[in-house]
Amino acid sequence: MKFLSIAIKDLREILRDRRGFFFILLFPMLLIVVFGFAFGGSGGNTPHNLAVINYDQGFVLNNQSVNFGNNLTQTLENAKYSNSNVSLFNVSQPSESNADQQLKQEKIDAELIIPQNFSQATVSLINNTILETTNPLTASSSNTPNITSTLIIRGDTGSMDFGTTQGILVGLLSQYKNGIVISTQNSIRGTPGAQPTEYLSSTVEPIAGTANFTTFDYQAPGLIVFAIILLATTIAISFTREIERGTLARLRLSKMRGFDLLFGGMIPWSLIVVAQVVILLIVAIAIGFNWQGGINSILLAILVGVIGGIASISLAMIIASFAKNDRQAANLGTLIAVPVSFLAGAFFQLPQASIGTFMGQSFQIYDILPWTHTIDALRTVLTYGGGWNDISYQVGLSVLLTIILFIIGVALFSRTSLRAES
Amino acid sequence: MDYIIIAQNITKDFDGFKAVDGLSLQVKKGEVFGFLGPNGAGKTTFINIMVGLLKPTSGKILINGADVQEIDKELIGICPQELVLWDHLTCKESLKLMGDMYEVPKKLLKSRVDKLLKDLLLTDKADTVVTKLSGGMKRRLNLALALVHEPEIVVLDEPSEGLDPQSRRVLWNYIKSLRDDEGKTVILTTHLMDEADKLSDRVAIIDHGKLIRLDTTENLKKEIGEGDVVEMKLSKPQMNMKVIESLKSIQQIISVLEVDGVINLRAMDAVGKLPQIMDKVESTGVQISDLSVRQNTLEDVFIELTGSSLRE
Repeated sequence: MKFLSIAIKDLREILRDRRGFFFILLFPMLLIVVFGFAFGGSGGNTPHNLAVINYDQGFVLNNQSVNFGNNLTQTLENAKYSNSNVSLFNVSQPSESNADQQLKQEKIDAELIIPQNFSQATVSLINNTILETTNPLTASSSNTPNITSTLIIRGDTGSMDFGTTQGILVGLLSQYKNGIVISTQNSIRGTPGAQPTEYLSSTVEPIAGTANFTTFDYQAPGLIVFAIILLATTIAISFTREIERGTLARLRLSKMRGFDLLFGGMIPWSLIVVAQVVILLIVAIAIGFNWQGGINSILLAILVGVIGGIASISLAMIIASFAKNDRQAANLGTLIAVPVSFLAGAFFQLPQASIGTFMGQSFQIYDILPWTHTIDALRTVLTYGGGWNDISYQVGLSVLLTIILFIIGVALFSRTSLRAES
Repeated sequence: MDYIIIAQNITKDFDGFKAVDGLSLQVKKGEVFGFLGPNGAGKTTFINIMVGLLKPTSGKILINGADVQEIDKELIGICPQELVLWDHLTCKESLKLMGDMYEVPKKLLKSRVDKLLKDLLLTDKADTVVTKLSGGMKRRLNLALALVHEPEIVVLDEPSEGLDPQSRRVLWNYIKSLRDDEGKTVILTTHLMDEADKLSDRVAIIDHGKLIRLDTTENLKKEIGEGDVVEMKLSKPQMNMKVIESLKSIQQIISVLEVDGVINLRAMDAVGKLPQIMDKVESTGVQISDLSVRQNTLEDVFIELTGSSLRE
């Protein structure tokens, strides 16, 4: 278990080099705070282009045919920013295929697909609410069916506009559902202001909190990944220092294998990535990041972050193969890490630059960087509250690209630093 | 003869510069073998080739009859010229790390670490991080790291570099004990004459990558004669020749000559002859402004063989 000894050694060195350790965490934290203050308030009061595809087949309630899908569409059309006359959405109703096309062409920001059973599910929600309100004891044993209806918000998770649009939509849909429950309860209890026969108010009021989604919510996951990419410089410096000071030569003279050095080195840096993801997420939330996921999203974010971290370790090996000393590693690392961060979309959305399709999805030139997918996946889980299914493609691609980068890194580093010099 | 290391016609070229030039030698098992030469003579390059860190341009190194690239890594321990330490690890952590790298069993490692710390006077600093150690302590830890796996061959590259006299004495005693008590073969490179003289059983004098002479220190010193050396500086250097003529009349003087304005007198029991020497000088009406008596050293051998003194 020589790799464990190497891991412990590296971890001790990282933690005891307080100046370096604080730089690893403090710099990204400062960056997040700066971005949070700079972009935390900016969402803009402009309507977002939303395509609604309504498959709802309606339902008969109290001999009255209702279509909650239409009602929701109307609600979306009428929704306005808080204290403003500006509409939240420019709603269009194309076919699903047209909407997908428009999404690819960035003509719309998102599409909302209302399923066939939406009204049925809404009525089920109303019935259950009635039962729970009138007879809470028997509610749990009643035969009223629970019908689940899933609304789909579709869009490019790498798009800042999609981020803003879905953020507003998620909040609005939640209020829409709560509105149904509350108005049902009020109608039964005779609360003043309730409308006994209408389960859904057609009056749309300004929806509080819809302006909460800001540019910063889009940027925060990108900044976490920026910190992870920046680690490549720090790791390259530590590799180069090990070479420059002769400690690597000392280790090479022992029974240590390349695997022990590389795998052992990977463990502490992965732990640093875990710490970075958690700490930076806490800082981001503290200054206003609208975190959508639960504990599960943190675990997914850690997994995604560690994959990104291994990609950074691979990049560090490549940098260390070309740098002759730690100063060169620092310069070369910065020269590579910063543009790579921009290219991966850590700060701003990148323009379309498609080079083909991969597994049915459009493949952009910057998709060859593993961190592009790290950022997308992190955004999906932290900003959009997505689960494993939503990020499996991004994680898969990220793993594949990281493996390729790792092989290149190991080959270069072994050739220059792990064999006897000739 | 039981040779543990055999170097066969080793050459190393660095972009046309021959750092090692056709060097062949054999090292006996259980001896302290000194490499003596000025800085830049090719000692460290040869050492790196000998332990397998550097591939020679041509030639072969055999350790116990096997190619150096194929030997068991436990066989050699190297203490490099520079301090090769992990700044943020303590002495104990550093030693345990290297022990783990050589797969030393845990229980054995603990006792070895404790012994090394004790032998090299580092027990009090066992839990001190390297950055907080003095230069001498760092150097001793540098040596301990080469020994934690108890190698059969210990390579010490300029071990006394930058050491204070006290630390140097500790180190020298320890190197002697490696040979005398533990039967290890010690390869020592140095540009310090007294170090090579006091520690080595045999010395290889190398310069410009070539082996100039290889023999025991005694034999090498005998080559240029025995005895002590008295060096004198006169208040009137123009009188040097007259004084030299006068000194030649003293019995049992081996040689007396002028080297760079200084009178250099070689004689058996020079200290006992000092009163006669002083009388002769004063009889010529000159005063001695500086006088020193020293033993014949390897430096004299080196000057004799290379025609120059050691470059620092």
